[in-house]
Amino acid sequence: MRNNRKLVVLLLAMTMIICIVGGFNALAAGKVTIKFFSNLPDRTAGMGKLEQFLIDNYMKENADINIKVEALQDEPYKQKFRVYTAGNQLPDIFAVWGQPAFFNPIMSSGYAAELDPDDYKGYDFFPGSLNGFSYNGKLYGLARNTDFMVLYYNQKLFADNGVKVPETYDELITAAKAFRAKGIAPVAHNGRDSWPTNILYQDLVIKESGDQELIYKAIQQDIKFAGNEELLAAAEDLKELVDIEFFQDSFIAADYGAARNLFGQEQAAMYYMGAWESGLGSDENFSESFRNNVSAVAFPGMKGEGKGKSTDMMAWNGGGYAVSSSSAVKEEAIKLLNYIMKPENWARYAWQMGVAIPAQKYDQYMTGKESKLQIRLSEILNNATSISGTPWNDAATPGFKTDSQTIIQEFAAGMKTPQEFLEAADQAAQKAQQ
Amino acid sequence: MHSFLQNRKIIFMLVFPGFAIFVFAVLFPIGLSIYYGMTDWSGIGSLNFIGQENFKNVLQDGVFWISLKNAAALAFFTVILQHPLALIFALLLDRVGGKSEKFFRTVFFIPCIISIIVTSKMWVNIYNSQYGLLNKVLELLNLGFLKQQWLGDPDIVLFSVILIMMWQGFGWALLIYYAGIKGLPEDVYEAARIDGANSFQTLFKITVPLLKPVIMVNVIWAVISSLKQMETIYLTTNGGPGNASQFLANYLYIKAFNSYEYGYGNAISVLFVIVCLITVLLLNRVFKTEEY
Repeated sequence: MRNNRKLVVLLLAMTMIICIVGGFNALAAGKVTIKFFSNLPDRTAGMGKLEQFLIDNYMKENADINIKVEALQDEPYKQKFRVYTAGNQLPDIFAVWGQPAFFNPIMSSGYAAELDPDDYKGYDFFPGSLNGFSYNGKLYGLARNTDFMVLYYNQKLFADNGVKVPETYDELITAAKAFRAKGIAPVAHNGRDSWPTNILYQDLVIKESGDQELIYKAIQQDIKFAGNEELLAAAEDLKELVDIEFFQDSFIAADYGAARNLFGQEQAAMYYMGAWESGLGSDENFSESFRNNVSAVAFPGMKGEGKGKSTDMMAWNGGGYAVSSSSAVKEEAIKLLNYIMKPENWARYAWQMGVAIPAQKYDQYMTGKESKLQIRLSEILNNATSISGTPWNDAATPGFKTDSQTIIQEFAAGMKTPQEFLEAADQAAQKAQQ
Repeated sequence: MHSFLQNRKIIFMLVFPGFAIFVFAVLFPIGLSIYYGMTDWSGIGSLNFIGQENFKNVLQDGVFWISLKNAAALAFFTVILQHPLALIFALLLDRVGGKSEKFFRTVFFIPCIISIIVTSKMWVNIYNSQYGLLNKVLELLNLGFLKQQWLGDPDIVLFSVILIMMWQGFGWALLIYYAGIKGLPEDVYEAARIDGANSFQTLFKITVPLLKPVIMVNVIWAVISSLKQMETIYLTTNGGPGNASQFLANYLYIKAFNSYEYGYGNAISVLFVIVCLITVLLLNRVFKTEEY
């Protein structure tokens, strides 16, 4: 017994000594540690590489700062983010999506630190790009990129099969039918994720109505989904796309990687996806033939009076950063955020490395060495005459996001008629309004 | 010894650790779940007490019942397809003997030692409509008309995922039956042989009745794991298309962690525990009445 007691005393003493020594070490170094929580786990390519590059530069310039990065893929990131918020232990600086379904609960519950808009006067953010990062007139985060949907296509597949690259919606349907007739999947689509189908539906609504606000009015229940002709017309368009096998077989079960690979391996002629895939043209995992032939067009508009054109675009500002309001090093974290988002840092390198289209003015950083795809995407964005804002599934509560994604998947899988889909959308919107 | 066990302090000391673990690891979380189930907590920020509202809503939630129905379907197919097959293979394995017995025993058990992530993703690829093995094999065999969108068609997706789960669990079922068969007394079989019983009679009059305790454990286990199913669904279809292949554990996860309806998710989990308890009670009763 006595021996045991000695052992316990010894263990406690050692623990104490280790703690004290550790503490002194930290003090001696005098370093401030900033915890950085990122949704970009690949630190060797794409935006993750850029983020790490800027973090490393900041540490070089500020010897007293140590930045500890924790990075996870989107879904695990969101799960862990929730665990952190539940325990009120959010890291000092973290990635957010500037969309009501994700960021509103964080801003309204006071987890994000308020930022001073005056700090960003020279940052050249595009008008409206910080809307999703603001709540009750106060700013809580900064946007990283401009996200917009395009139709990537494989020039070689179009040329080899004598199909015209679509400029109008009718030509898109014709092209899809032509590819189907030749046994090629017209469009690669990740229906398992649901959100691309939600976005496509909204794009069709814009093209049917020429009205960017229509779908948001329906979510607010100022109008009904089920009673509106244009919302119904867009649903019928989507049904037609499914019926003519516009997407690859079993697209409902395909996840992001599966759809992307199908297009990259030249098994599908087109790919409806966001501009964040601007790296497709330099992805070494795909053949040289693909890399040389990938291009993009805006999703075509409809013909007729009052209809949306291809320049009425699905575009929004999604990813960005915020700082924890309970951070012990809040001031330092905000300084780091401001450094990363300086136009000569994020906007410049994001454009020049070809990893994203920034949410800030970037034309002063054009070098003439950009890839063809990058230039093409930039042209499409510059030609936009109207932009949508947050995709409708992300534009209300998290519950609405789940519901709207489930019903669009049921609709695309043929489990609901257009009318039933619209009625279900009304129900989801009403629930969200409560 | 007798006085030792009558000492209250000693009884307390012996019982307390186990009891404490039970309280903190089982009762306390269930209690907490019931409490959260009665709130509108989103998982973030403040919460309001709303009484039985969530529980009422869960019982009126179509997806809750679809998930239960799917679990019942999985349990049903596991019991009527996977288990008889596992039993037959266990018997055959026992008959084979020697090196091939060891070999096949290992082969059958391999799916169980591979991570569920790997086997689930493998099956997603097998089912793939463009390059998947299953459709390609059907084409090769001139059975192209049988080709399906295995995970994309709401009418067949449930059967596709049930097949995956049966495949994943087959090794366990077989191993338990095999162990049971190995433990059967040899003399009963000798006596049967002397009495002139044929192998059919031996199987149904001796092996199966003697294996009843093993069958009971195996079936209860299969039913409970069908109810609890989560990983395979999460990794293959996430309950889709729509909720056609939804299971309770996955649904409550979606509600609590994607929809930020943590209170509602907890209400589902409480009802889920009740369903599991009722099922076990019913199964125990079924097996009890057949005991002799």
